Amino acid sequence: MTNLILLPILVPLLAGIILIFFTKNIHLQRWLSGISSLATVVVSAFVLLKVRQDGIQTLALSSWEAPFGITLVSDMLSALLVFMASIISFACLIYSFRSIGEQRERFYYYSIFQFLLVGVNGAFTTGDIFNLFVFFEVMLMSSYVLLVLGGTKIQLRESIKYILVNIISSALFVVAVGYLYSIVGTLNMAHISQRVSEINQPGIITVIAVLFLIVFGLKGAIFPLFFWLPGSYNAPPAPVMAIFGALLTKVGIYSIMRTFTLLFPHDTGYTHQILSVMAILTIITGAIGAIAYWDIKKIIIYNIIVAVGVIAFGISVMSYDSLAGSVFYLIHDMNIKAALFLLVGIMIKITGTSNLRKISGLIAHYPGLGWTYFLAALTVAGIPPLSGFIGKVILVRSGFEEGHYWGAAIVLMSSLLVLFSVMKIFINGFWGEPKDYPEGKKVPVNQLMIAPVLLVIFAIFYGLGIEAVQPYISQAAETLSNPDIYINAVLKE
Amino acid sequence: MLETVVQFALLCIAIAMLGLIYRLVKGPTVPDRVVALDALGINLIAVIALVSIILKTNAFLEIILLIGILAFIGTVAFSKYLEKGVIIERERNS
Amino acid sequence: MKINDVILQTATKLVLFVIILFSIHLFFAGHYYPGGGFIGGLMTAAAIVLLLLAFDLKTVAKILPFDFKKVTAIGLLFAVGTGAGALLFDAPFLTHAFTDAYLPLLGKTSLHTAVLFDIGVYLVVIGVTLTIIQTIGESE
Repeated sequence: MTNLILLPILVPLLAGIILIFFTKNIHLQRWLSGISSLATVVVSAFVLLKVRQDGIQTLALSSWEAPFGITLVSDMLSALLVFMASIISFACLIYSFRSIGEQRERFYYYSIFQFLLVGVNGAFTTGDIFNLFVFFEVMLMSSYVLLVLGGTKIQLRESIKYILVNIISSALFVVAVGYLYSIVGTLNMAHISQRVSEINQPGIITVIAVLFLIVFGLKGAIFPLFFWLPGSYNAPPAPVMAIFGALLTKVGIYSIMRTFTLLFPHDTGYTHQILSVMAILTIITGAIGAIAYWDIKKIIIYNIIVAVGVIAFGISVMSYDSLAGSVFYLIHDMNIKAALFLLVGIMIKITGTSNLRKISGLIAHYPGLGWTYFLAALTVAGIPPLSGFIGKVILVRSGFEEGHYWGAAIVLMSSLLVLFSVMKIFINGFWGEPKDYPEGKKVPVNQLMIAPVLLVIFAIFYGLGIEAVQPYISQAAETLSNPDIYINAVLKE
Repeated sequence: MLETVVQFALLCIAIAMLGLIYRLVKGPTVPDRVVALDALGINLIAVIALVSIILKTNAFLEIILLIGILAFIGTVAFSKYLEKGVIIERERNS
Repeated sequence: MKINDVILQTATKLVLFVIILFSIHLFFAGHYYPGGGFIGGLMTAAAIVLLLLAFDLKTVAKILPFDFKKVTAIGLLFAVGTGAGALLFDAPFLTHAFTDAYLPLLGKTSLHTAVLFDIGVYLVVIGVTLTIIQTIGESE
């Protein structure tokens, strides 16, 4: 099957188009989008196994061979991320069935949701820098619609900021790609990498690398550029928030990972130093935000920023181990952040507020919710043997080995603060005297619980089954730390 | 000979366009500006025609038609706005 | 206030078909020369905008009873379907096929599946443009 790696993009695309025809029939929409999301999970699992078996898979679209046409490249990192993105979007979709509300469902919610998945999967899979921009745009357009859909006051206010920031960063993206093209004369990432190492990364390429860092930093919310994130992610309903928090920033981080390991790996003393400082500052600001807020959504949102910093730190160290740690932590974080957002969404649905001071004693009536949240909180903070722990151990150890003592120490410290921030929700929100909420004592949450429970179970297996996961992670890190594997697979030399 | 004539014509059109731009910026009333915009479109068509004579190509002829149509629709929309205050009505006779 | 726009309406009835013909010409010219689905679609949309200017939303909705969002979807389906057709032959996505054929009246014509893709683009452009214009027009 030549087109296997295309299928995780094509299936949601077709589903999204077909769903436009059935806006009136909500049941049919739910069924169709559910089936297509499940199919996406299945095909992305096939891609993952195929890549594990036969190495990097490439597909020359329109039969134009690399480096002339657009090439889709699925290496282990892409395959893993596509797989995770499909699983998370499937979980968020199940959650949406019960919570998103008919009003949104009638206005193309499901079809836009599928288009978002097209953009995310495409950005993970593409091997062409301009095509990456195109898939970014597909993803961002869909995210604009999802953000504004529903039209409440806070959504409209935040989406103006969000759209403005993203349009500026997209413009910078095109400028950066244009500069890069004018120097190396190609857009295929493998080919760019080859050309850059031929001319040995002169100063101008380093300037472009920093420009790319700004662009992807804006999308991925790295320290000075994350200002738009807490407000914007606060606005939409829980499943949309979950998919934004779990996928969108991670696409930015993936792009940093790809460009800084493949395209600009020669001047690490400069570019990766900047990245390292930014990453550490990101962790610190994220942790401060997570501790300071008493709004449960905001706490989790600032935890995203911490995680972004941790992953970026791993990229900046640039050793085999640190990259493996980053990849491991990236996948862990996508999974568990989605689960946490969905759980917080359920809490808000029960209590009708996101202010932690007004919530207490939820565990008395909702024990399932309480313990699932507890497990998720332990996982995100990195208590052994859960998955957050392993990622951080690999990262911190490699940081110490490479002499990044400060960064590694701060990553360690951040675990404590993250633990404090998520436990704050647990202690204040679940323990204590049960309060009366306007919705009554028994809000039917069982069907809402399916998606977060699935994700938490997946996270636990991901941590406990490290033996089984390890080969995948090391295959991904191998490609990242040695760009020649990627180049040879794409250009077939 | 033809070359010289075409170049002279281009110069004349350029001067005319400068005058039109002056009217577009200064234009005391909105209708002045609309007429100036429309005339600019027509001058643009003339420039393209002359350029395609110089370059001895007919690849630009479709663009002339394109600009003509767009300028026409733009002018119609402006004039309708000036006269009625709306561009697209929901129902005409209400 | 009632305004007499007989001239505009009469002119529109004539010019409309010229513009649409021109848009079809542009669409097919895209095969070897500048043109194609995008600009052709824009021209057709321009023709319909002219119609909207001369008449009103209700009349145009009566003449063209399409939901333009669905036109967009059909266009997308055409474009993606053409690309996905390559999957049936186990060729990479978006691979096109072409042949030269003798058609009655037209003589020797080159047939290319890219035309199907372009029809998709054409419909998407019309659909999106008119959806935007109708939404802006309706908001009053």
